[in-house]
Amino acid sequence: MPKTLVIFPDKCTGCHRCELWCAMNKEGLINPAKARLKVLRREPSIDVAAICLQCGICINACLYGALSRDKKTGAVVVDDERCIGCGKCVMACPYGMITVDASVRKAKKCDLCGGNPVCVQHCPENALQYLDVEKAAAIKRERYAKSLVSELKGGSASNLNLEKLK
Amino acid sequence: MMNGGYCGKILRVDLSSREINVEMLTEDAIRPYIGASGYAVKLLWDELDGDVDPLSENNKIVFATGPIAGTLVPSGGSYALCYRSPLTGAWCESRAGGSFGPRLKYAGFDFLVIEGKSETPVYLWIHDEQVEIKDASLIWGKGIEYSTTFIQNEIDELDSSIALIGQGGENQVLYAAVVNDRGRVAARGGGGALMGSKNLKAVAVSGKGSLQVAHPDHFMKAVTLAEEYLGRYPFEGINQFGTPLLIGIQNAAGGLPTRNFTYGQFESADDIGGERLTKENLIKRRACYGCSMGCGRYTVVEQGKYQTIPQEGPEYETLAALGSLCENGNLESLLKANYLCNDYGLDTISVGVAIAFAIECYENGLLNDFELEGRELSWGDADLILELIEDISMQRGFGKILSQGVRRAAELIGQNADDFALHVKGMEVPMHEPRGESKIMALQYAVNPRGACHMHPNWAAIWDSGQFECGMNALGQPWPPTDKMLELNAKKGLAYKYVAMQGEISEIIGACVFHSWGADDECITPQLYATLLSALTGWDVTDQELFEAAERSWNMKRCFNIRAGLTRKDDLIPKRLKDPIRRGPSDGESVQNIDGMIDEYFDAIGWDKETGIPKEDTLKRLGLSNVWEVLMESAVQNR
Repeated sequence: MPKTLVIFPDKCTGCHRCELWCAMNKEGLINPAKARLKVLRREPSIDVAAICLQCGICINACLYGALSRDKKTGAVVVDDERCIGCGKCVMACPYGMITVDASVRKAKKCDLCGGNPVCVQHCPENALQYLDVEKAAAIKRERYAKSLVSELKGGSASNLNLEKLK
Repeated sequence: MMNGGYCGKILRVDLSSREINVEMLTEDAIRPYIGASGYAVKLLWDELDGDVDPLSENNKIVFATGPIAGTLVPSGGSYALCYRSPLTGAWCESRAGGSFGPRLKYAGFDFLVIEGKSETPVYLWIHDEQVEIKDASLIWGKGIEYSTTFIQNEIDELDSSIALIGQGGENQVLYAAVVNDRGRVAARGGGGALMGSKNLKAVAVSGKGSLQVAHPDHFMKAVTLAEEYLGRYPFEGINQFGTPLLIGIQNAAGGLPTRNFTYGQFESADDIGGERLTKENLIKRRACYGCSMGCGRYTVVEQGKYQTIPQEGPEYETLAALGSLCENGNLESLLKANYLCNDYGLDTISVGVAIAFAIECYENGLLNDFELEGRELSWGDADLILELIEDISMQRGFGKILSQGVRRAAELIGQNADDFALHVKGMEVPMHEPRGESKIMALQYAVNPRGACHMHPNWAAIWDSGQFECGMNALGQPWPPTDKMLELNAKKGLAYKYVAMQGEISEIIGACVFHSWGADDECITPQLYATLLSALTGWDVTDQELFEAAERSWNMKRCFNIRAGLTRKDDLIPKRLKDPIRRGPSDGESVQNIDGMIDEYFDAIGWDKETGIPKEDTLKRLGLSNVWEVLMESAVQNR
């Protein structure tokens, strides 16, 4: 069964180790700015990893056919031979998760490390997990349900007395 | 040009002339000291006069990182603020986590040296090797939260770290702190007052630069090993409960400082401990940059009179200093006190000790001639503590006297106030009780370069009290150690030398000390640091080399103090610790032979027992003959 990357912001402590490992593994140096995922600490109280969802919108944006879907992992990958670093993909990505490295003029993005993401291996909190898509889908449904509860709690049209549900 | 780990650059900013210079850092210069406070002491030894007035424009502040800061080594989020302390007149290093150190390196610099004094309030904005001196007049007089948000908006960079002072530093409270990332604090010794004296409100850093790694494969392997070891870390509760867990541990051992070090146990300890904090106020755990441990607390008081915004902390030291030490068992008030101290920018330890001191002076009738605005100073009065924090920060009324630290306050109050002033070399005693935790702590307080210090390094009592092995087996020290309450002929001098040197390795490499408490497969040992550093820098570093560099740095800090006029006579402990402690398992214990312990330690470390000066052959062996010569010259001049 194919797998997908899932974030758990409630577990994240904001340690940035995923970024550090990503850049180390991909570029052979230390530089979180070159990581293919980004940890954001925003006050108050949010630590969250922003990751590529592998949605593929960038594939169609590329005029040079440099982006394609890897058959084994399902990740969208960059063909360095074809990429000219024009940045069309950066403009197209709704999530800000593909960038162009100006020093080499190539697009850079998460390729799931060929099916064994280094960020997942080294996250000390299990705030990043690489899960079977079915399991990931179940987690998404669960989150949807929970977000709905808190939305209804604050809503005016509700006939639920959620305080009573506590 | 260096191969890895280091940026290889020192940034120097003269606030008087507004000159900005970048100096290259070579392997020859840095390697004998490794980095962080180890190199900063060498730099300040070379550049400062021994008698420099700490709050004059001639004093300098060094923001110092080590080679592992900002790297994948799991303890590398730290930076150290180094200077001659206005509180003690001695060497001071205040370490803070968060992301300041790493981001300073991503911006391109290992060290930032601040000189001179600006005519008007300014802040520095350092980003990608660019440096701007910016106007801070709109935030002068404002607290940490407001000012941090203001600067983040003005520089338009949320992925930045801002180290700054609040009103405490501006008003030159002698134990004012420097706060970075809103809630990580370089707290002790008055670095905030020093920044205030220079009209420097803040330093903001951000960068997208790279740090090279000499041998990436070796490095990744060694980092993975460090992660595995830390996965077996012996101090398990530190993740779940953070340092506040210590409240319960110390209380059970009879070592929780209570009522200005009168008692070793506090009846309301459970009310202010880690379990309760986690249950009632914890939003989530937070980690410093690159830390796999995540002992930081992110907490809130949601409503009521002690309501706070979400904040980082409190740590054990704060809960004890403003809690048990003042017999305050109200946890919510302690969170509020933590917030106020962090927003005004004060060292919570010194604040707590100063307030406990004031209450005891009042109780003994020493404050009859002082204007207290109708207040009665009594134990356990949470609101009084909050009021005094504000008064100290703003230098109002009696707060102005307390803002000078307990040593000066006791001089101003006179009579027998000194009996109630818990300090060494002017540094307020932290929340580790030599009579309850371990007698080796008394030795550490007496001889540590920055005065009564629990952190640099902080393993002595932990090893001596049998809590953790701290790698001492490998150094030939017995495990379990001898009785923690013995003073003489228990090898404490030798043990402290070993523990101190091992801790000093953490300091000069730029690590957080929390990663090195265990045996060799459950923490990062000097051997593993040597492996990591070798892979990172491409040098062939051994643990022996690290020990020697640590000894060099440790001796330099001692020499810095000697040149500043301190002698063996300053290596002492406050009177109260020589009196019996009351309550709990340590009831009746007192420190009897501090001078004997110091003698044993000086023998072990190679310092003269009469003068306290490192011996000529000790310094020679460490390649510090020139330092010896300077000391002798200044000794001749002083005569």
